Amino acid sequence: MKTSPFVSTSSVTQAVRHSLLRMQTNLISSQKELSTGRVADMGLALGSKTGEAVSFKRDMDRLSGIIDSNTLVSARLKSTQEAMNQMTTVAQTFLQTLTASVSGDASQSIVLTDARGTVEALTSVLNTTLNGEYLFAGINTDVKPVDNFNAPGSTAKAAFDAAFLGHFGFAQTAPAAANITGAQMDNFIDAVVVPQILGTGWETDWSSASDQGIQTRIALNETTETSVSANEIGIKKLVVAAAVVADLFSAELSQEARNALSSKALSMVGEGLSALADLQSRTGVVENRVKRASERLEMQVDLFERNILDMEGVDPYEAKTRVDTLLTQIEMSYALTARIQQLSLVKFLA
Amino acid sequence: MSLTSALSIAQTALLNTSRQTNIVSRNISDAQNPDYSRRQAVIASYAPGARVVEIQRSANEQLFRQNLAALSSFTGQSALLAGLDDLAMSVNGVDNATSPATVIGQFQEALHLFATTPSNRTLAENAVDAARQVVRALNDGSAAIQTARADIDKSISEAVTSLNSLLQDFHAANSEVVAGTRAGRDVSEALDKRDAVLKKISEFIPITTLKRADNDMVIMTGEGAMLYEKLPRTITFDSIPGYSPGATGNAVYVDGVAIVGGQGGNTSASGTIAAMMQLRDNVAPTMQSQLDEIARAMITAMAETDPNGVQPPAAGLFTWSGAPAIPPAGTVVDGLAASISINAAMDFSIGGDPVLLRDGGANGAAYIWNTFSAASYSDLLNSYNAKLDDDQSFDLAAGLGSGGTVGTYSAGAISWLEAMRQTAAGAAETKNALMVHTAEALSNATGVNIDQEMSILLDLENAYEASVRLIRAVDDMLAALFAAVR
Repeated sequence: MKTSPFVSTSSVTQAVRHSLLRMQTNLISSQKELSTGRVADMGLALGSKTGEAVSFKRDMDRLSGIIDSNTLVSARLKSTQEAMNQMTTVAQTFLQTLTASVSGDASQSIVLTDARGTVEALTSVLNTTLNGEYLFAGINTDVKPVDNFNAPGSTAKAAFDAAFLGHFGFAQTAPAAANITGAQMDNFIDAVVVPQILGTGWETDWSSASDQGIQTRIALNETTETSVSANEIGIKKLVVAAAVVADLFSAELSQEARNALSSKALSMVGEGLSALADLQSRTGVVENRVKRASERLEMQVDLFERNILDMEGVDPYEAKTRVDTLLTQIEMSYALTARIQQLSLVKFLA
Repeated sequence: MSLTSALSIAQTALLNTSRQTNIVSRNISDAQNPDYSRRQAVIASYAPGARVVEIQRSANEQLFRQNLAALSSFTGQSALLAGLDDLAMSVNGVDNATSPATVIGQFQEALHLFATTPSNRTLAENAVDAARQVVRALNDGSAAIQTARADIDKSISEAVTSLNSLLQDFHAANSEVVAGTRAGRDVSEALDKRDAVLKKISEFIPITTLKRADNDMVIMTGEGAMLYEKLPRTITFDSIPGYSPGATGNAVYVDGVAIVGGQGGNTSASGTIAAMMQLRDNVAPTMQSQLDEIARAMITAMAETDPNGVQPPAAGLFTWSGAPAIPPAGTVVDGLAASISINAAMDFSIGGDPVLLRDGGANGAAYIWNTFSAASYSDLLNSYNAKLDDDQSFDLAAGLGSGGTVGTYSAGAISWLEAMRQTAAGAAETKNALMVHTAEALSNATGVNIDQEMSILLDLENAYEASVRLIRAVDDMLAALFAAVR
């Protein structure tokens, strides 16, 4: 560009005007940055990295969503554990009663009452709901998983009656029941009751729960089963043992048959309890996984937050200094304009 | 007779001074007019006295041409930047809040929330509503892009009209210059006018000028097409009132030669027409393809499958005009972002069942996964969530590579636009600085300095006074002579 000693009047005023405009534009964006703590125009500041910042924010929201849903899952697992604790307590009391019964220290009526109470307690625990969902229903959370065996119209009771009738040829309330021997009772339990609960009988007559548990995504790429079904073998054994004892102890059975039944029930409850303990520890593992997943997610969210701040954050001190400097500059340029206006030969020509 | 000649010289000097004063006053009155070039009364001596021979107009061809070029490239750049700002705002919203990338994230969140509690119908509706936001972002973005293209087309048409009328103005000014020069008149006014018109023309289109005999001027476009030679050439353009995705716009022809649109964020376009063509034919269609690809990826990820693997996958929550088929992978389907919609079978606002999202079966019983309608069945929902995070193949033509998940792809679309906008904004600043600088240099070379004019005026006053004194002295001398004679 040619440099000329000549300066036109309009270029003198234009120069001030242009720089003033630029400073005012800068002032507006700097003020915005100062008040928000973020760059005024993310796109202009980050350019091709803008998408990265957007996806950081998006992933942060998604991860926070998963952390929130994990607290729901944890609450469900905690309630499940609590419920299983209750079942264990109930089953242990029943176990003591049965032990006493086997050794002949408990009367029929005590065993009967305790068995009935155990059935009711187990049923009510299995039918626990959380937020309107049945805890032990597998994925059929809108259906009550087990009916009360003692209540009239119970399909489980009907199925059991039919099985008894089919095996012995008479109902348990019939007088002939008194002639059932201990060996026959053992045979009935082993050949009929156990296959029924282990086979399809449980799911058709006793439980409406599904085997499949609720699958939940507890991290972006980690899915796990986060519910316990009433179809678990431990639960089945406890319920059936208590129900069979509650039912048959009311019938007129021989002492031998009762003792055989008690010892069968005793071993079934024992097995059930150990399976339940196993289930509890499995659930505990899942609880722990969810907790660890949430912790990991929280760390990631923190990291994302810091990344976002690194990308689009503005140092407030720097922004403040910039605003102050710009204000000073603009004031100076106003003063300068006024002085330049004064600086004209016309003023000095009288 | 030397006294008479002295008197006549003094008279001429008076005349000259008044003419010079006239020039000074014109200079001062146009001091702030950027299109005005300073005039100078150049005095040449002819025996027996001095007289004003010509008025010279300070002109600097080189600086003027530099200024024209800087003006063209700045207006082109700022037109591109304004277009990009407009597209970024209308497609992605303030701080990208309504961008496809953001709403897809929200949809994934809603889907996850529903998967956590699949028995909750409200969450199902929430997920469908979040999907509706995705559809709206894509539909609105697509509509905004096509509206922008139509608006740009209209602006190009207006620019062509202005350009044609500017060429007529140029013709008038140029004819006056040529005729005046031939007749030996002062053509400064016409030259000023001609330069002003050239500045306006170069805002639309880059030009090169060529001076010929008698101050005649020839204008050519940057590409070498003739714009003006003795007579203005016509610039033609067929405007299209409405645009649809995939439609191409018409070119602008100068004397039969098409104007080429610009390329890149720091655009090669000079003048607004080339920049607008870049926006209409390059930037906006690419953005449309990106939206189309995002729409396709969403339809594909959320497609329903047959649990037995017999039926082909069918459009699920997101559907389109070609449903139930899934659009072919890795190929842009023009206008998909405009036609994507929520599957009516799942849209609860028109009587659909949002729970089909959990169970499957929007396309018939063959697509049902949750055969027993279990309330907390989450496998299908979890599989959708996983598919949304799976890599898909994209069309390279959309300019964002061929891989990635729908999330990274949609974020990439923002990066693509913002990178271009950042480059454009930086380039606009540089080009603006160059324009201001050349304008300043031109103004310094050809503009008026009032102080200088005032000092010239002082000189003129003194000269005038001296001339008057001279006349009076000659008068006194003549009077003395006459008195002696009497």
